[in-house]
Amino acid sequence: MADEPTQPESESGPDPTRVRYLTPESCRIHLGTHGALHVTVRDERIYGGVYAAYAFPVAYGDQFISLLHSAGDGKDVEIGLIRNLSDFPPQQADLVRQALARRYFIHTITRIHEIGWKYGFVSLDVETDKGRVQFMMRWKSDRAVDYGRRGKVLIDVDENRYLIPDLDALSPGERADFTRIIYW
Amino acid sequence: MSGSRSVLLNMPLPAELARLAAKEGVEVDRAWLTTATDLNLAGSYERVFLLAEPDRLLTLALSDKSGRPATRICLARQSISEIRTRQGVGGGFLDALVDGVYVEVVAYSNARADVFHKAAAKLKSWLRGTQPDVGSEDDADPRRCPKCGMMLEFKGDLCKRCINRGAVFVRVLRMMRPYTGKAVIMMTFVLAGIGLSLIPQQMIRVLIDKVLAPGQAGNLPPANATTWLLALVAALLGIHVVMAGIHMIMGRLASFVGTQITFDMRSRVFGHLTRLGVDYYDRYNVGQLMSRVAGDTEQMKGFVHQMTSGFMAQMITVVAVGAVLFSLNWKLALITLLPAPLVVTAAIFFWKRIYPRYFRVWDANSKLHGTLNTILSGIRVVKAFGQEHREQNRFARSSGYVRDSFRGVEYTVTLFNPSIGVLFQLGGILVWFVGGQWVLAHDLTLGKLMAFLGYLGMFYHPLGQLTQLTNWLTQFLTATQRTFEILDTNPQIAEQDQPRPLPERGGSIRFENVTFGYSRHEPVIKNVSFEVAPGEHIGIVGKSGCGKTTLINLLARFYDVDEGRILVDGIDVRELQLQQLRGYVGVVLQEPFLFRGTIYNNLTYGQRDATPEQVLAAAKAANAHEFIIRHPLGYDTYIGERGAGLSGGERQRISIARALLYDPKILILDEATSNVDTESEQLIQEALERVTAERTTIAIAHRLSTLKNSDRILVVDNGQIVEHGTHEQLLGQKGLYYKLVKIQTELSREPSVDALSNRKP
Repeated sequence: MADEPTQPESESGPDPTRVRYLTPESCRIHLGTHGALHVTVRDERIYGGVYAAYAFPVAYGDQFISLLHSAGDGKDVEIGLIRNLSDFPPQQADLVRQALARRYFIHTITRIHEIGWKYGFVSLDVETDKGRVQFMMRWKSDRAVDYGRRGKVLIDVDENRYLIPDLDALSPGERADFTRIIYW
Repeated sequence: MSGSRSVLLNMPLPAELARLAAKEGVEVDRAWLTTATDLNLAGSYERVFLLAEPDRLLTLALSDKSGRPATRICLARQSISEIRTRQGVGGGFLDALVDGVYVEVVAYSNARADVFHKAAAKLKSWLRGTQPDVGSEDDADPRRCPKCGMMLEFKGDLCKRCINRGAVFVRVLRMMRPYTGKAVIMMTFVLAGIGLSLIPQQMIRVLIDKVLAPGQAGNLPPANATTWLLALVAALLGIHVVMAGIHMIMGRLASFVGTQITFDMRSRVFGHLTRLGVDYYDRYNVGQLMSRVAGDTEQMKGFVHQMTSGFMAQMITVVAVGAVLFSLNWKLALITLLPAPLVVTAAIFFWKRIYPRYFRVWDANSKLHGTLNTILSGIRVVKAFGQEHREQNRFARSSGYVRDSFRGVEYTVTLFNPSIGVLFQLGGILVWFVGGQWVLAHDLTLGKLMAFLGYLGMFYHPLGQLTQLTNWLTQFLTATQRTFEILDTNPQIAEQDQPRPLPERGGSIRFENVTFGYSRHEPVIKNVSFEVAPGEHIGIVGKSGCGKTTLINLLARFYDVDEGRILVDGIDVRELQLQQLRGYVGVVLQEPFLFRGTIYNNLTYGQRDATPEQVLAAAKAANAHEFIIRHPLGYDTYIGERGAGLSGGERQRISIARALLYDPKILILDEATSNVDTESEQLIQEALERVTAERTTIAIAHRLSTLKNSDRILVVDNGQIVEHGTHEQLLGQKGLYYKLVKIQTELSREPSVDALSNRKP
């Protein structure tokens, strides 16, 4: 979609005390100046510099997505929530998905090649959706946190995140090696 | 500009990119900042460069698609009104505010976050029109290990990867230096014990070959045999008695040395913990530190135990028994060694593969305790919401996890132990088979065979145990390292070698352009300046998280400012002796912390030499005397952990009396009355009026009505002082203070804003 110029913002805005659901009828999601994500809310205004956040990243991946706007004073304001992304036209839904992909920089682990432990560090050699990665994490419970019932999010020494959505999806050998070290 | 270039912020562009950029009119040589990120704006790995020329900001990248320009974003400086970094999940963004819209300029993973925090700070100065200095000093990153570059847990932390683990042993041995004499005696007894333990098998050999088989060629005649039998049995008894004595003495010595160095280590660690700053306690929770002081230091005892009866003794035993086996019969000794590799392999397999399953059992148990604790502690909530059944299910899940974890490990162990038992027996069976044949063929005496079998047990048992060495070593090194980490952490709040003394009287405070953040790139206090005259009463108000308590933390020097300075009576707090500063600044907190002990001990906590008269006067002034005296044991009443047995208001009044007895020139009241009922509040307010008279006082309060009598009120918002003045002046300004008063008045239905403003002090 071609960049659209940002129109002057009006004073009106969302009621901060109530949840507002955005629908394809009430808003339009598009790119604006310098490729920034914009949302035009009918009879309200155009919001520029919009970013998206999951309300329930584990339980409802494509639903309940919050669209937030950074006001000029740096404070973030929620424009509204998208109840279901598939309700939106594919182009608009894709823009939101791209915004989510930008905000959530997470490697999804598909295979564990090697896992080792030494002196309080776990070293991993894994296959991810972004390619093969080797990383080190501290052997501490807050560095491998639960993701839903059977998943884990691993946080490496640089605070980068690696997701194993479901431990049961790993091969028995990989799972055994993993739970031998990350047993919690 | 700085003399030397920054590796991080003056990165050279790859030649190909520089060539393409030049074609597109980018003046690479004019760029005062060049750095690279690891992600593109789509969130995929790509090397993208950020360049700042004197009059524009650009991003450049080499593209796979031929013909795609190298310049991705180009923003003129005049079009940017603000630069910021924004945290994402697993990474972040550098944004520019253009035409009222925040535009994402660069995305980065967390590995590059620090670089872009630095770049953002430089770009902000650039926007303000000043040319920022970029040089090698910008490469310093106290949050990374200078040796391997790994991210540390906090600024000034020790790199766990680069720690010299061998040095840990040297340090532990050094700790044993005061007990060298005892350690030498201990080791002598260890060797003597091992030597003696080898003798009985030899005596059994003589007993069988020379005494118990009379009539055989070369054996003793029956008459002499009885004498020899008695002598050998007596000698066996004697050896066992001596060995028992050795083990007793050795055990006592080991216990003495082990517990003593544990005690020494615990004292050193605790002493050091008390010297570390508040910032250290922000990073570690109390539970972790407790486990380090109480648990990890216990490993010292384990070290001594390992010397006397653990791996060191076992290693010597294996070597000694091996030598004896070979001296008895080298061929049989070689047969004995046949299953040894299998024993070692099986033991290694156990400790590497099976033993970690116990971790899961411990984890399951700990989770079960946690679940039980949560449910029982919150039983009123459970009942109030009628969730008994749900909690029962939750508990059943936890309990099931414990059951399954135990089963998992026990099923494996029950399979493994008998199998390893067979391996152990294999050596014996081989010796019986081969040795038995040799005995029948008269190539070996029965006594030698029996002695051999006796030594076999002494050989295999420690061999199996030795395989745990790696496991113990890892645990020991990890725990000891954690302990030494505390000892090696330098207090961030350093005291000058020659601190300046404070004048006798005074109490003035001056904040000069103070900037501070708990995290280096997120300032909580931003360029704050204000002055407080001696004896002045200042109120600080603001929303939660705006930085009120941080101002107080800086004044008491729990943290050091990042920029600017704080002066007390004209002297920078960093130049003062800490003890003197803390004696000068008294703090009454929202949650008064009382220690287990008598009320008297709590009152005199900061002033041990206070006389009973002073204690009574302070308690009276703090409106605490009346309730204390009502207790049967008065001031000698013993109170529990954290002041258990007293109400919130009573605890607070004791803490005020404690502060009063300390007699500080500057008194800080941090939400001192927010957690008490109205009646207690009134008593506390009365006490505070007396206590604060003629003292510089800074009070933080949510209940604004408690601050209306302050000489001045500072209104803090987002780390800055946005309003200041008297209560009336601030109401008149109709700014944030007015708003806060209005909200509170509406909430409490207390006096209206107008009524409050009309009230005379």
